Amino acid sequence: MNIELTAAQKALQTEVREYMKTVMTPELLEEMKDDDLKEGGGPEFRKQYARMGADGWIGLSWPKDLGGKELSHIEQYIFTDEVIRSGFAYPFLTTEAVAPVLAKNANDEVREEVVGGVKRGEVTIAIGYSEPNAGTDLASLRTKAERDGDDWVINGQKMWTSLANYADYVWLAARTDPDPDKKHKGLTMFLVPTDTPGYSCTPVRTLGARTNATYYEDVRISDKYRVGEINGGWKLITSQLNVERLSLFTHGQVHSLYESVAEWAAETKAPSGGKVIEQSWVQHNLARVKVGLEALKIMCWNQAWMMDQGPLDMAKASTAKVYGSEFFVELYRLLLECMGGAGSIAAHSPGAILQGKLEFRWRVGSILTFGGGTNEVQRDIIAMAGLWMPRTR
Amino acid sequence: MDFTIAEELASVQQLAQQILNDFSDVEQLKAFDGEHVRFDSKLWEALAEAGLLGLDIPEPQGGTDLGFFALTALCEEVGRTAAPAPVVPVLVSAAGTLRRFGSDALKEQWLSAIAGGSIVTAALEEYGNEDPATPATSAKATEGGYAVSGTKICVSLADQAQRILLSANCDGQLIVALIDPKAAGVTLSPQLVTANELRHEIALDNVQVPAEDIVATGATAVDAMNWATQATRTALCASMLGLCDKMMRITGSYTSEREQFGRAIATFQSVSHRVADCYIDIECLRLVTQQAASLIDQGRPAEEAVTIAKIWCGDVAHRVSQASQHCHGGTGVDRDYPLFRYCLQARQIELSMGNSAQLTGQLGEEIAREFLAAS
Ligand SMILES: Cc1cc2nc3c(=O)[nH]c(=O)nc-3n(C[C@H](O)[C@H](O)[C@H](O)COP(=O)(O)OP(=O)(O)OC[C@H]3O[C@@H](n4cnc5c(N)ncnc54)[C@H](O)[C@@H]3O)c2cc1C
Repeated sequence: MNIELTAAQKALQTEVREYMKTVMTPELLEEMKDDDLKEGGGPEFRKQYARMGADGWIGLSWPKDLGGKELSHIEQYIFTDEVIRSGFAYPFLTTEAVAPVLAKNANDEVREEVVGGVKRGEVTIAIGYSEPNAGTDLASLRTKAERDGDDWVINGQKMWTSLANYADYVWLAARTDPDPDKKHKGLTMFLVPTDTPGYSCTPVRTLGARTNATYYEDVRISDKYRVGEINGGWKLITSQLNVERLSLFTHGQVHSLYESVAEWAAETKAPSGGKVIEQSWVQHNLARVKVGLEALKIMCWNQAWMMDQGPLDMAKASTAKVYGSEFFVELYRLLLECMGGAGSIAAHSPGAILQGKLEFRWRVGSILTFGGGTNEVQRDIIAMAGLWMPRTR
Repeated sequence: MDFTIAEELASVQQLAQQILNDFSDVEQLKAFDGEHVRFDSKLWEALAEAGLLGLDIPEPQGGTDLGFFALTALCEEVGRTAAPAPVVPVLVSAAGTLRRFGSDALKEQWLSAIAGGSIVTAALEEYGNEDPATPATSAKATEGGYAVSGTKICVSLADQAQRILLSANCDGQLIVALIDPKAAGVTLSPQLVTANELRHEIALDNVQVPAEDIVATGATAVDAMNWATQATRTALCASMLGLCDKMMRITGSYTSEREQFGRAIATFQSVSHRVADCYIDIECLRLVTQQAASLIDQGRPAEEAVTIAKIWCGDVAHRVSQASQHCHGGTGVDRDYPLFRYCLQARQIELSMGNSAQLTGQLGEEIAREFLAAS
């Protein structure tokens, strides 16, 4: 047992960190001041994303025959961790979660078009699972797709389709068997090009970034855009959600917040004289953050390592989701407390500390505990798969 | 990065489990509660015969030299069974320190004895002081050795040990000595502690220690006590890992069977989620403990990792023992049901060798130093 990065892994980390500095151009930082472009979509974002593709950074862990480098999950994690730390709105769900599923299951032509496009940094995909009445209970979703000759005709509405405002496709879950007894077994996955007639998108403003409602009115797409078996969608959804988890709660992004706050506190004068960091309650909060961060770091490494050994244990994946999300929220609070009232000054207002980064994170952070699978459901999984307790009713 | 558990380590753990299980059913454990010293000499003999007392003792001295990480794996199994086996004070605090800091003669004399089943314990705590590198206990140089005076507390096996490893301050210089508990000037007073076991206060009044029983002096003595602190804390974390894992699993099975309102109480989310939270806590404790243990095993700087692990240890102990008792209802506190023993042991460890509040304060000061120096 040796819980440290090897020299080669450290070198990769440094390489990505340096590279990402060239991605986060002043133009991009300027562009990201626009609330709608914070999470990508602007011309400078497109330019840098395509550059990452051209430089061979997209798909590190994909198989070689897709143009990937077949790197281990640990290396993939190191990359992801650094990219998130840099603040680039890299479309992880597209590259790490959806693209590999498409590579395995899509029709050859679509595979070339979409997976190839992702590889080149030209394509982004939004995820269309949630609906107004189906969030946690995804199996109950109602958007329907009906066969019509060689085509499918889709009708319905999706909610919270993040990034749809600039995505090239929506990765859509639709009901193809209306029999209510087949909740899980009646779903099929599609890729809907966002320029298809009948598709539309309106903004939904949340506490932080923009997300969207998307509408499907007689949207007609060719059968080639169906992915996987008819009524076999559930498996694709769950395998995608599993892969997703490891890029949600990476260590680097919150570790850099901790460092920034500690640096700020070591430079800033306290009312009682001395520096902010010399006050025992500030030290206490920083120490609590550090204690939690250390466990988060090892947990992320451990899970990446386990994924290299075989499929990730369900209970452990859920453990990382619950621990990561609840710790992030706790960390935001502990670090913000160090700043006092000035911590509430939002970005671009005079006096904002650390460009308001932490204020923003804390404000939007409430999504973490329910997004990507609510923590209640994760705890159900832990009790069942990790402790063999009976299913809750 | 490599989280692999070596095969030999897995077999050590298995062997330990087999032996410890044989000696830790409820009736056997009862015999060591309360007014009895928590030490099963038959179990200790069996562990010696199986070679498990020598995991971190060199081969020439009768050990298997598998190292510190292997020793923490044994501590975890002892925690899991709550067996009356004082692995932490004897094998970690005393033998581990002797191995790394003692003279050849002392190693020759004591390490093989310990591997064979002899008891040498350690006294690291004083009233209001859990840092053996800064003891209030004092020493005076005398002809042929030192005279030691002071008080140590909550010492395991003080009345059974052949020697007790402890530190004292001699005019600003630290010394680490092996004290004979039968020497003149030593007074042992029984202390019943939270874990429902008997320990001892040791009062030392001008106790003469011959030069050959001095383990280390000066800077080496400071290193020795820092090592002992870190290794002991880490071993306590490992014991806690076993204890908490067991408490959680007892709770998982109990709530799966116990029915109220015509259904297993585990099917109430508020119950199952509390146990799931224990699972998450224990996973965190496991990871930080493994990190600390592997750093010590490799002889790498481990201070910060150990502090972090011991803070997790205290927090997790508190939450898991409370949740386990709560989810059991009355049964959890019944002394005829095994859970209470784990809870009490956990609280004992939580309060030993640095607790969460104290260590958080210490870690915070170090963070401030680090960032002030860089600013
Ligand atoms: C900003 C944002 C971006 C998003 N992006 C996307 C996206 O790109 N694509 C997408 O498909 N979705 C997206 N989502 C949707 C997100 O995945 C859902 O919000 C989430 O799955 C929860 O569903 P819900 O909002 O319908 O809440 P509900 O399912 O109604 O849950 C409400 C509460 O009930 C609890 N609850 C529900 N079921 C149970 C249960 N079985 N046991 C105990 N408690 C339960 C939940 O934990 C929660 O606390 C996004 C959401 C937000 C806010």
